[in-house]
Amino acid sequence: MVPYTRATLANGLTVIVHESHRVPLVAVNVWYHVGSRHETAGLTGLAHLFEHLMFEGAQHQPRGYFEPLQRAGASVNGSTSPDRTNYWETVPSSALRLALWMEADRMGWMAPALTDARFRTQRDVVTNERRESYENRPYGRASFALLRALFPEGHPYRWPTIGSVEDLARATLDDARAFLARFYQPGNASLVVAGDVTPEAVLPQIEELFGHIPGSPPAPPMRVPAPTPRRSRTWLEDRVQLPRLYLAWPSPAIFAAGDAELDLAGDLLGNGRTSRLYRRLIHDRRVATEVAASQASRYLGSFFQVVATAAPGTSLATLEAAIGEEIARLASDGPDETEMARGRAQAESAFVYRVQSLGGFGGIADQLNTYYYHRREPDWFDADLARYTAVSRQGIQEAVATWLDPARAAALSVVPAGSRDLALADSVQAADDL
Amino acid sequence: MPPVGPPDAVRFPPVARRRLENGLAVWTITDAALPVVSAAVMVPVGSAQDPVERPGLISLTGDMLDEGAGGRDAIELAEALAGLGSRLAIDITPDVTAISIGAVGRRFADTLGLLADIVTKPHFQAADFERVRDLRLNRLKQLTQSVSTVADRAFATAVFGDHPYGHGTMGTTRSLQAMTLDEARAAWERVYRPSTAILVVVGGVTDDEVMQAVKASALDRWEGFSTPDADPGFTEKTPDLVLKTPVIMLVNRPAAPQSELRVGHLGPPRRTPDYHALVTLNAVLGGQFTSRLNRNLRETRGITYGVRTAFDMQRSAGSFICDTSVQADATAVAVREILSECRAIREPGAVTADELALAQDSLTRGYVRHFETASQFTRALVEIATHDLALDTFDRFVPEVTAVGPEDLARVGAALRPDACAVVVVGDAAASRPSLEALGLPVVDADPEF
Repeated sequence: MVPYTRATLANGLTVIVHESHRVPLVAVNVWYHVGSRHETAGLTGLAHLFEHLMFEGAQHQPRGYFEPLQRAGASVNGSTSPDRTNYWETVPSSALRLALWMEADRMGWMAPALTDARFRTQRDVVTNERRESYENRPYGRASFALLRALFPEGHPYRWPTIGSVEDLARATLDDARAFLARFYQPGNASLVVAGDVTPEAVLPQIEELFGHIPGSPPAPPMRVPAPTPRRSRTWLEDRVQLPRLYLAWPSPAIFAAGDAELDLAGDLLGNGRTSRLYRRLIHDRRVATEVAASQASRYLGSFFQVVATAAPGTSLATLEAAIGEEIARLASDGPDETEMARGRAQAESAFVYRVQSLGGFGGIADQLNTYYYHRREPDWFDADLARYTAVSRQGIQEAVATWLDPARAAALSVVPAGSRDLALADSVQAADDL
Repeated sequence: MPPVGPPDAVRFPPVARRRLENGLAVWTITDAALPVVSAAVMVPVGSAQDPVERPGLISLTGDMLDEGAGGRDAIELAEALAGLGSRLAIDITPDVTAISIGAVGRRFADTLGLLADIVTKPHFQAADFERVRDLRLNRLKQLTQSVSTVADRAFATAVFGDHPYGHGTMGTTRSLQAMTLDEARAAWERVYRPSTAILVVVGGVTDDEVMQAVKASALDRWEGFSTPDADPGFTEKTPDLVLKTPVIMLVNRPAAPQSELRVGHLGPPRRTPDYHALVTLNAVLGGQFTSRLNRNLRETRGITYGVRTAFDMQRSAGSFICDTSVQADATAVAVREILSECRAIREPGAVTADELALAQDSLTRGYVRHFETASQFTRALVEIATHDLALDTFDRFVPEVTAVGPEDLARVGAALRPDACAVVVVGDAAASRPSLEALGLPVVDADPEF
């Protein structure tokens, strides 16, 4: 569906080129195969903090990464997830060489530009990002509590990518240097160039700019035992007006058997007005104000969650019971034919919507890297769509029955400050260091 | 460092413009290479048209459209759209209501049929109205805890006062509680008319195919209601300057780890002749990552995750707004620096040649990025329709920005009014008040209505 040319440089860097001349733009997208799951306990948040440092400059771009690229008309960003860190710039075709030069510089020559002043400033910026995106936002700390309920001590998904306040305060420039040396090298990265470019023109440039960066083999794959679903009930107070219930379970890893089935189960339980929980809780009974269900697919193992906010006067126990009933009904009867047809239609058009933009988060270049990282095959679009069109009623039924046992859910109640009585009965308070 | 080429010329694609007998304008951009067809019906009425005593009425009316239309109830409509794999969105701004769809090519005609029903044959059933209103009341309740919404509301009121741009599109609890189904239906009858609406379509469909789909849809038979009023149109009222001197408005959020800030004042409308100079000035001040303010507050001081400024230009007026969230103990420092940067950039010659070149290069070389997807083109057409802009507006952007000179920046610098601006602070009042008062500006308590 998305044709490409692949090359591997001698230093281990994987290069993927997709040619498309519809608009005079090129998307450059670099993935380093490192995320917060590669951090060690006590230094959480380091992968993301390091991502910030990558924009502050490298040896040959001392004034930072943004200025030259903005001058070239680029759109620039990056992000860190539990599994990987990505960096991208979408540039007019004439600025492609500049973009590649900048990426090569920070892939090969970051160390000399890392200074304590930059480290400290970006640590402060990240601490403010944590305040803005989580601490000062309604329900913002819920995911922190939920991850702790789902993943046991020692599992690297137990901590959030943003890191803990204590760990961020503890991190040092030496920690950043060690992280750089361990994970930021060509053998642990993949580079996608997509758009108004030909492989013949760009591959020699990539060899020239990246080829002499020393590389080593990628970090060995991580082996982490899958968490066992276990019943838990916690509560958390927050600056919110309405109590909200989170139910979550560990689930199959991204692209593993059951992943697509649970993705579709999430749609038919809680995505939009056609979903069973929307109809029942919001449309018919008006006991909830918001509902959502989703499979959060990840490398080592995913989790499935259902989230519902109670309408005034409704207890979270009412929502828990209704959600449990809908899950049980799906586990016993499976979806009906209308739901299956709708799921297929939505999957088919979703794959068309996904190829509209070359660059940015979730653009074509980013998706080629996603598939390469997880499947070692960049153009896995058709195979991925086939996963969804091949799903059967029985497959969904079995996945729900296997993975979403209401009696073994991690349940989190987020309640208005001072109203812990609105939490599910028998809940214990979430840890106070979230 | 490798050199880069000159900016790509942007040539906005040709727009085929037709009109149905009922007056509905149909604008089509045909591009067979676009994988998705995007379309929107734009009605030239937004929250600025809310009756004074019913803020939120136009928005609620828009929300009612897909709660049942053309013989399908809310769930059946959602089922029909999902069965086509198509998407629907209803957006209400102060100036316009836009009901938009996205569809793969072979589903376009069927999806347009649903859009037509939603716009022209909504049911306005009592049970749906009650449910939608309840959801909105609960949403408002939730939003009282969202610092960005609280700050936006306080800022709009401070800048626009009683002007129709001075209230939030969703309205208030008081107003929603008083609203009736008849009021919503009457608002729909009054403002949804083929004679003032525009349908825009972008994607791999020809203008003939679009007309064929339109003729097969309820849009072709859309009559609209005649009321004693003349056709409702845009709000064309220029707001009065509410603030003559700066004031700090403090909304208390005890123990908040950050203060959410909005700093700004009244600004020009989209059709200002200074548009390109203002956009360039803003890029230097706070419109991009390397702007003066972001370098100061984020990259030098580390007190925020980011800060941005914008001239938010509506049809009959706009605002200049600086938007950020800073750590609580740096609240007064941030306010001081924002005001100081706004003052400094107004000085003659304040913008260096290199700053100007960086802003121009960034804006002009990057402009082509805004014209890649069908929905980007749809938004561009809606912008043209909303502000009565010329069709060559986008073609002119690169040469106009390139032509901005230091004397233009000096001239439009007067559009920044640090000495008559509203400073909204949503944060821990007790902790911030002493240092804010020490800035020498009046500090008043505020509590925006929800």
